Amino acid sequence: MTETPPDVQISPARKMFLSGASVIWLIPILALIVALFVAYRSYSERGPVIVVEFETGAGVAAGETELRFRDVTVGVVEKVGFTSGLDKVTAHIRVEKDVAPYIDSGAVFWVVQPEVTAQGITGLSTVLSGVYIEGAWDRQIGPAATRFQGASTEPLIRPGQGGLEIAFRSTANGDLTDNAPILYRGIEVGRVGYAKIAPQGNYAIVEAIIFEEHRSLINDSTRFWDASGFSVNIGPAGAEIDFSSLATLVGGGITFDTFVSGGTPVSDGTVFEIYPDKETARNSVFNASEVDPLKMSVVFDDNISGLIVGAPVELSGLEIGEVDTLSGLIDRERFGDSRVRLNAILSIQPAHLGLRGDVTAEAALAFLKERVSDGLRARLASASLLTGGLKVEMVMVEDAEEAALVETENGLFIMPTTESDVSDAAATVEGVFTRINKLPIEELLSSAISLMNSAEAFVSSEDLRETPQDVRTLLGELTGLVSSEDVKNVPVALNATLTKVERLVAQLEEERIVERLGGALEGAAEAAESVSSSVEGVPELVEQIKAVAAKAESLEVEELVVALTDLTESADAVIGTDDAVALPGSLKRALDEVNLTLEELREGGAVENVNRTLASARNAADNIALSAKDLPQIVTRLTGLFTQAGRTIEGYDKGEQLSRSAERTLREIQKAAEALASLARTIERNPNSLLLGR
Amino acid sequence: MVGMALTGTPEKIVSARELGIVACTRCTKPWPMGTRTCGRCGHRLVSRDRLSLQRVWAFWTVGLMCYIPANIYPMLKTRTLFQVDESTIIGGAVELAQYGNWGIAFIILFASVAIPLGKFFAVAYLALSVQRGWATSQRQRQYLYEVVEYIGRWSMIDIFVVAILSSLVQLKTLASINPGAASIFFALSVIFTMLAAQAFDSRMIWDAHAKDEGPNRND
Repeated sequence: MTETPPDVQISPARKMFLSGASVIWLIPILALIVALFVAYRSYSERGPVIVVEFETGAGVAAGETELRFRDVTVGVVEKVGFTSGLDKVTAHIRVEKDVAPYIDSGAVFWVVQPEVTAQGITGLSTVLSGVYIEGAWDRQIGPAATRFQGASTEPLIRPGQGGLEIAFRSTANGDLTDNAPILYRGIEVGRVGYAKIAPQGNYAIVEAIIFEEHRSLINDSTRFWDASGFSVNIGPAGAEIDFSSLATLVGGGITFDTFVSGGTPVSDGTVFEIYPDKETARNSVFNASEVDPLKMSVVFDDNISGLIVGAPVELSGLEIGEVDTLSGLIDRERFGDSRVRLNAILSIQPAHLGLRGDVTAEAALAFLKERVSDGLRARLASASLLTGGLKVEMVMVEDAEEAALVETENGLFIMPTTESDVSDAAATVEGVFTRINKLPIEELLSSAISLMNSAEAFVSSEDLRETPQDVRTLLGELTGLVSSEDVKNVPVALNATLTKVERLVAQLEEERIVERLGGALEGAAEAAESVSSSVEGVPELVEQIKAVAAKAESLEVEELVVALTDLTESADAVIGTDDAVALPGSLKRALDEVNLTLEELREGGAVENVNRTLASARNAADNIALSAKDLPQIVTRLTGLFTQAGRTIEGYDKGEQLSRSAERTLREIQKAAEALASLARTIERNPNSLLLGR
Repeated sequence: MVGMALTGTPEKIVSARELGIVACTRCTKPWPMGTRTCGRCGHRLVSRDRLSLQRVWAFWTVGLMCYIPANIYPMLKTRTLFQVDESTIIGGAVELAQYGNWGIAFIILFASVAIPLGKFFAVAYLALSVQRGWATSQRQRQYLYEVVEYIGRWSMIDIFVVAILSSLVQLKTLASINPGAASIFFALSVIFTMLAAQAFDSRMIWDAHAKDEGPNRND
């Protein structure tokens, strides 16, 4: 009965999976889990790669160059490569994951490297550490981007930086300096970027930023001006050099001031003008706030140089705008000829017109339209006498031709013009020349020529040519006059007298009276000697001598002396005659007569007589001169005579009476001779005195 | 018995197990087979620890896992005034070789690459030879095991160098050396290979020929 149940097929107990496994296997599993976890974490924490393109590598190295944001490293360059075509350098930057979302399309990147500028040294730390890439982005997460264009220099306005973003426009004569500081009371409150030329090319524009904390300094009445360089003022207070700071002196700078209160805050993107200096800036404040200018065209018929771009446009002496552009204009259809006309585009500032209500370009245009129909015209006027600069002036022209503002196809209105009022120096000079030109110079010259001709004819006339002859005749007559009896007799009488005296003296000489007397006296002396030698017979001798002396006494010496005295007296009388004395007077009279005659001649034109008179006058003068030449001889002779006479008379010293009378005689003769001598001398010295009576 | 005769090895090496003896692994006192615990030191007596191979493989795996990042990550972070230099083990050796320091490069490569790799291979070979019962020379394997055991600690010389350098060279901003991530992995790798070598029950080398006897004889 022991029925055994059928064999149950027993399969060996299934070996439990891992039943023989040791718990030690937990360790590698744990290690694996840790490794996987770490791998996952590091992968999940890994940020994306962005690609930044730069113009140059500038020291960017793979694995080393960091990307920094606010000077904190947020990424590393993993790879440096090139764009396709090797145009640019690409830096592949692995950025941190938590920062990556902010790096959106507005992000900017630039390479920071050491830089030395007038404003200072930047990026000095990179000298040692190598360059790094600085990035800037705002605080908003924007559309993601992975490719960026890197800048070569630090951008002026960083995204998300804050601050007031404005722009500056250079004026006509102002200039802008790149990357210059904006100073306020010497403190840098902003910075100017890199200037660009405006698309129209007529001014430079530059972005600038005013740092956030100084935003309140700027409002719409703030004026900026160029503080670079230095200004030299020489005034009553002496010379003055003014510059803001050494940095602005070297690198330029912009400063500003709000001259009036009550401005309203400005928003980002406001454009300010940069004035060349503080004065200009200050003046501009007091002009009304400017609006968009009204552009107008003026076509001047007269091409006068001197109008320049920026020249003022004035209305009733008030500056309302300036000349914007200048060009030539040829329009055969409009003007009927192909002359080049001066086309000036004016920029009129409606704010300066003092319009009521709307201050807009349209209102200004309406105003001008109305005024033009009243007779307002544009004209060129001189702005400066010295430089000859011109301005455009709008003036009311009385009873002007009908005209209106005409609109051209390009939307500009053409202002009608009137005659220019150019009175500058050049024009004045021109006027002077015009006036000179208008003088009847031709006539003047022709009359001068005719005058000269008649003068020549007069000079070359026969009558005039004969004038010398007439003069000569006149002199001849004068000679005749001079050789009239009264005059002629003088020398003749003198001659005669002197000849007489000479003859007398010669007679005396011939008779050798004196010698004989001498001889007699010698004989007497011998006799006396012989008497003294032979004492005997002295009384007889003395008697003889007495006799001799008596004999001598009985000689006609006395008569001689008397004769001599008479002679001299008569000579004296001759000289002392009224005629002789009156000689000069008559001469003078004669000359007066000559003068009269000459006058008569001049009046009567009888020149021949004058000639003759002059000739005779000449002859007379010659004669006088000749006579005068003889005078000295006469005088010497007389002197010799008188000396001899003196000596002769000395011999008669015994007789007191004789000697006294002889002495007197001789003295008178001497006087006469002296008088003659003086006359002779006078004549000799100045023969003309005979003629002229002096 | 029969099996033993079948082996037919000319030099008959008799294992303790064949003699019915089990030795205490702690105090080395032999006990008759079947004794559970050592009467002297109280240590559990096991003639053959078949699980040791699992431990070997486990530690070996972890060691190998650690060895990979140890070679990928930088071992040393040398920061001087101007630059930060991070070098891996092989990279540093190659750099040294490029500068002409062949000797130092060789030492580094030997101590940090050749020895750890050799250890991995040696341990794996021993474990496999036991598992598969390869009939290779038991003496050579025993010798290999002893070398691996002995040399394993010297692999730590890298870690010592890194530790000493990074503790000595700390001159603030001027220069500093810091251990890189690889140093930790390298140390772990060395530790786990040592553990793997230790976990290997070298007595199994001698049982290679008796593997057909089945795993039941484990205890």
